[in-house]
Amino acid sequence: MSDTTKAIFTGDRCLSCTSCMANCPVMAAVKEYRGPKLVAPAHGRMHFSQEDVEATLEFCSNCKSCDRACPSGVAVSTLNMLQRAEYYKKHEHLRSEDMLAHGERMANLIRKIPFGATFSNIGMEFGKALGVFSALGLAGERNMPAYASTPFKDLFGRIKQTPTGKKIVLFTGCYINDNEPQVGEAFVKVFNANGYEVLIDKGFNCCGSPLVVTGFLDEARQHADNNVARILDWKKKGIPVVTPCTSCSLMLKEEYHELFGEHEMHEAAENVYDAFEFLEILQERGEFNENLKPLNQKFLYHVPCHLKSQAIGLPAQNILEEIGGVKVQTADAGCCGISGNYGFRKDKYNISMKIGAKLFERVKRKDFDKVISDCGTCRMQIHHGTEIKPVHPIEILAAAYD
Amino acid sequence: MKISDLIVIGGGLAGLMSAAVAASRGKKVTLLTYGSGSLPLASGTIDFLNAEAPDAAIKNLPAHHPYKKIGLKNIDAAAKFFCEVTAQDNLPYNGRLSAQIPVVTAVGTLKYSALVPESMDASRLASKKKIFVAGIKGLKDFYAKMLVDNLKKYFSDKTFEIVNLDLELLGGRDITSMDAAQILTGNEQILADGLKKLNATEDDAIIIPPILGLEGNSSRAEVKPQLRAEIFETTCLPPSPPGIRLQRAFIKYLQKSGVRIFENSKVVRGIFDGKKISGVVVENAVREKIFPARKVILATGGFYSGGITMREFENPKEPIFDIPVFFPMGENNWSNKNLFENRPQGFSMTGIFTNENLNPIDEDGKVLFENLHVVGANLGGSDFIFERSAGGVAISSAYKGAIL
Amino acid sequence: MEKATVVVIGGGATGLGILRDLSMRGVKTLLVEKNDLVNGASSRYHGLLHSGGRYAVKDQEAAKECIIENQIMRKIGKSCVEPCGGMFTRLDIDDEAYEEAWVKGCADSGIEATPITLDEAFKLEPRLSRRHVKSAYLVPDAAVDGFRMSWQLIDSSKRYGGQLKTYTEVIGFDSVNGELRGVKVRNQFTGEEYEIACDIAVNAAGGWAGFVGKLAGVEIGVQPDKGTLIAFNQRIVNHVVNRLHKSSDGDIFVPHGSITILGTSSMSIPDPEDTSTSREEVESLLKIGEATFEDLRDFRILRTFAGSRPLYIPPGGAVGRSASRGFAIVDHEQDGLKGLFTIVGGKFTTYRLMAEKMCNQICAKLNNTTPCRTAEEPLVEEVSQEDKDRAKKFFPSYGTNLAATRLGVERFKKVVERLENDPESRELVCECENVTRAEVEEICKDDTSFIVNDVRRRTRIGMGTCQGNFCALRAAAVFADTGIESTAKDSLTRMREFLQGRWKGIRPVLLGRTLRETEMTRAIYELSMNVTGGEPQ
Repeated sequence: MSDTTKAIFTGDRCLSCTSCMANCPVMAAVKEYRGPKLVAPAHGRMHFSQEDVEATLEFCSNCKSCDRACPSGVAVSTLNMLQRAEYYKKHEHLRSEDMLAHGERMANLIRKIPFGATFSNIGMEFGKALGVFSALGLAGERNMPAYASTPFKDLFGRIKQTPTGKKIVLFTGCYINDNEPQVGEAFVKVFNANGYEVLIDKGFNCCGSPLVVTGFLDEARQHADNNVARILDWKKKGIPVVTPCTSCSLMLKEEYHELFGEHEMHEAAENVYDAFEFLEILQERGEFNENLKPLNQKFLYHVPCHLKSQAIGLPAQNILEEIGGVKVQTADAGCCGISGNYGFRKDKYNISMKIGAKLFERVKRKDFDKVISDCGTCRMQIHHGTEIKPVHPIEILAAAYD
Repeated sequence: MKISDLIVIGGGLAGLMSAAVAASRGKKVTLLTYGSGSLPLASGTIDFLNAEAPDAAIKNLPAHHPYKKIGLKNIDAAAKFFCEVTAQDNLPYNGRLSAQIPVVTAVGTLKYSALVPESMDASRLASKKKIFVAGIKGLKDFYAKMLVDNLKKYFSDKTFEIVNLDLELLGGRDITSMDAAQILTGNEQILADGLKKLNATEDDAIIIPPILGLEGNSSRAEVKPQLRAEIFETTCLPPSPPGIRLQRAFIKYLQKSGVRIFENSKVVRGIFDGKKISGVVVENAVREKIFPARKVILATGGFYSGGITMREFENPKEPIFDIPVFFPMGENNWSNKNLFENRPQGFSMTGIFTNENLNPIDEDGKVLFENLHVVGANLGGSDFIFERSAGGVAISSAYKGAIL
Repeated sequence: MEKATVVVIGGGATGLGILRDLSMRGVKTLLVEKNDLVNGASSRYHGLLHSGGRYAVKDQEAAKECIIENQIMRKIGKSCVEPCGGMFTRLDIDDEAYEEAWVKGCADSGIEATPITLDEAFKLEPRLSRRHVKSAYLVPDAAVDGFRMSWQLIDSSKRYGGQLKTYTEVIGFDSVNGELRGVKVRNQFTGEEYEIACDIAVNAAGGWAGFVGKLAGVEIGVQPDKGTLIAFNQRIVNHVVNRLHKSSDGDIFVPHGSITILGTSSMSIPDPEDTSTSREEVESLLKIGEATFEDLRDFRILRTFAGSRPLYIPPGGAVGRSASRGFAIVDHEQDGLKGLFTIVGGKFTTYRLMAEKMCNQICAKLNNTTPCRTAEEPLVEEVSQEDKDRAKKFFPSYGTNLAATRLGVERFKKVVERLENDPESRELVCECENVTRAEVEEICKDDTSFIVNDVRRRTRIGMGTCQGNFCALRAAAVFADTGIESTAKDSLTRMREFLQGRWKGIRPVLLGRTLRETEMTRAIYELSMNVTGGEPQ
């Protein structure tokens, strides 16, 4: 075992204990899915026997609850994703899968049309009304995320920053870049307030998470190789890469290496931080800017699954509670159900909403001022399920630096 | 990271209980878990000792037994506290330390336990005339015929009848008791209707697999009032609904009490300040994170949970603090010839030794860390499975560790 | 009184080979076995179908036999042979001169040994030690499943009228004036004793051949030689990986379905029943094995097991590894008992050839001139791809091929029918080895399934990761529902027996993750099911 953290080596650690089954939100929502234990480690032992595919593998949302439930460190969900990629070696992707996997490509395409972003947002509504969504295999019930007319990468140049010796690179991630550039702006404001100049690197690709879950593993590998090479370049210069998106950070920090097992991936990962993780480290070093304006607000915090997987505690809660009058209450209502692009698929929409029901119920109690969550698609799902629009915790922190 | 009054390492029964007890006393508690703990696999009953009156039997145990260090007063208090926590989630437990309650197992043996979920308490089974055993179409792991064949050995005077219910479970994966419990939640009437058709009377009992929901007693409350006969749930193969209910009851209690729970957090070592531990280090995929604490409870379990590991023979380790682990030497003392024997298994006695305060000690009996308390299955010297004390030792050591 | 022309004693590969061969030649033959089939060395071994490479230096006669029989087995045993190929690797600590001799020996014996580069070797076997491996060759080794092969030999024999009685122990011989009349046997479950009349009896009892000989008052030079092996939880290797050195302990890794077997040690023992294994033996195997695979100790061990090879000791001959792996046929007419033969020694790979030679002698006595056809006719008909494809929708994924090779055409058809008509029977009794309830029910019904372990050997339930944690209860319950009434109804005993069978192999490797798994076994069965050492309280 040259490298034991590579997912394929972890299947051997399975004790068949069923902890993953007891914690799988998809199993709880549908009886079709045969469950993480059987589909990943157990079947993994039988792959030698015939060319085959477990049909219910498609139900796995890659929320990683199984990985966290496992007492033995089996990378259950990553094993599922590797197997899904095997399936697509012999099967064509659906158009919906292709679309959902390539948000980055689609956003670029839309922006090439004059006033594209504006039109696309209208178009999405029209598309829905005409049943185009449904024909594409997307959940007709959903709104596609609205595209910002100017992506963050282009907006970024207009932000005035005072150059300092301390720099970080912001890995924006697709959702913030294309759909919620205000999170990127808040990020810059927060890091500036802490004495850091924020750089961006237009050479980064999408982290690849949407590609991995839809079985475009080769393409994800290309993204990984590109991103890893760039992160290592930054590492050489002593400049950390920081991202406010928890699915991106999990991908960069952990999943590349689990999936592909290259040593450089791990090396690069050491230079990647979640935004609040980084801020908390500053705080521990006594370097965090505590000059915060009191906000006197109560927040309900939905902790994204992909943040829980990172084993960094809850740095956003910890930091936000530094703000005068702020109380952060965790929602403690499990997975929101959307899991990246999973909940956008027509055939997974109902499962996604069923999984999210407990969270929606919690949010609808409205015993707080705002809902916060670090993950873009979690925020979308909560908005969709409750009509209450959540914000990224860094937007709150930015407001406290006013 | 802010300092916690108490960091509990381990999310099994002992860890959950320690965190709950400390939080109930106003402490700021952080719970670090890696894996979901063994409760989803457990029967949900809390065994204290295999004796007619566990409390009396505890008095006769040798001095090195963890129960002796915990003391009967704390054991009593732990049982009481445990029942309060579960009651808050509408998951009532029956029993006391001076007697044992029978529970019907999935294979039709009777198991005796001091604290038993109300839904499994088969005390009144003996007074019934007829026992229905409900096989459920499409439910894996519940074999009514095997159960009846074996249960008859205890109740030869009773009439048994196997009935088959269709709860519309077929049409997907293999359905475990957990799946059935999940499917029946909010959909209990189909079970109630099926059971009503048996026309069972007050003189009868109905035995069913543990499928009455995964949260508290709510599914049972839907079904029970509609029946004249009493219903009893059995134990089952994992994943086990009674264990999951118990786990959920505790987690809800912790969330309500403001305990911070961090999943997937593998503690790899401690930060030491002389004989004190000032924090623990969690290792994630790329870096370490320090969680400072005034006091630490080690509830990482025994071999099963990885609280004690053994890569080479004769060399078991406690992987976090490198606390000395006591174990029986030699191949013949390590295990018995038979898996099931009327004596303990040596390997299961492996564990950490402590003083009265559950502080770990070394070979010379010297305390290693003053603010570290060891609770649950990583305590050494006894085979908790053989002596049927796993649950009791877990909650009572957790209780003592938390109040110190 | 029951009658057969020939009674074969011993249900190992040799005995079964004889049963098949004689039946195909039209001789009415009955095989008796005191336990279940292949209880001795024929399943308790590494499952290697030798290319002969292992004998290429020491014993070219054996090497030549191996490569010929290897090719025959691949042809007739498609459902029990896995043609994974083999690799010989020389390590830095091994003698280079031996490599030279070996290459020549292979060429002389007709064994194709293809040198490959180290890069190729590491690509084919990524877990090989990059530090120690210095050269590598590919040879036509294969893996063969002793359990499956034995049942396929039975299926083949039955087609020609061959008969079988398991759990039937020979307790004596009946002869009149130095001429054999019959064999006295005892049913192991009922204790019933009776005689089977026959003209000829063949003592093919392997390690027990000496004891059987004693019953007839003849002396047989057989030395039981215990070989210990370790089964790992996954396929560590894709090929059979052999050390390229003078044959020794612990130098063969065989991929066997979902697992890998590492073997074998060699130790003379007085009692062939002694299949115990010790921590010391395990340690010594691991120590040798980790030279080839450095990370060996990080792989999950499922269990260890041992079998006793029946080494034939000619008067004054050598014992242990230096003893001959050749075989001997003794006609006990020379000892004054006409009609009794003993066949002893040999190796699994050449069982067919041994059987052929034995049967030629028997047929000569019987004036039967039918030629041997065991090398041409496949053991069983294979399940067609078409049938497998059709059945796929009822089987779990990755379940069809293995079930088809285990079951054979007829039983496969019945299992598919069950799966089709009763959706509940699609449940997996064994989730680790992917065995459906339909298959377990079908095998439980078989008249040779007396205990759950018999069902295990034919289905692989309980042989995977969890070693019975989940399937022990399920299998005992299904057996209680569908098995032979007299033994199945005591489901708790059957369940305990099954788990105890697993325990025997787990106990000497009770460390690491094996230990974790065992604590789970105990938590489930002792705590949740209150299974105890004695009768339930």
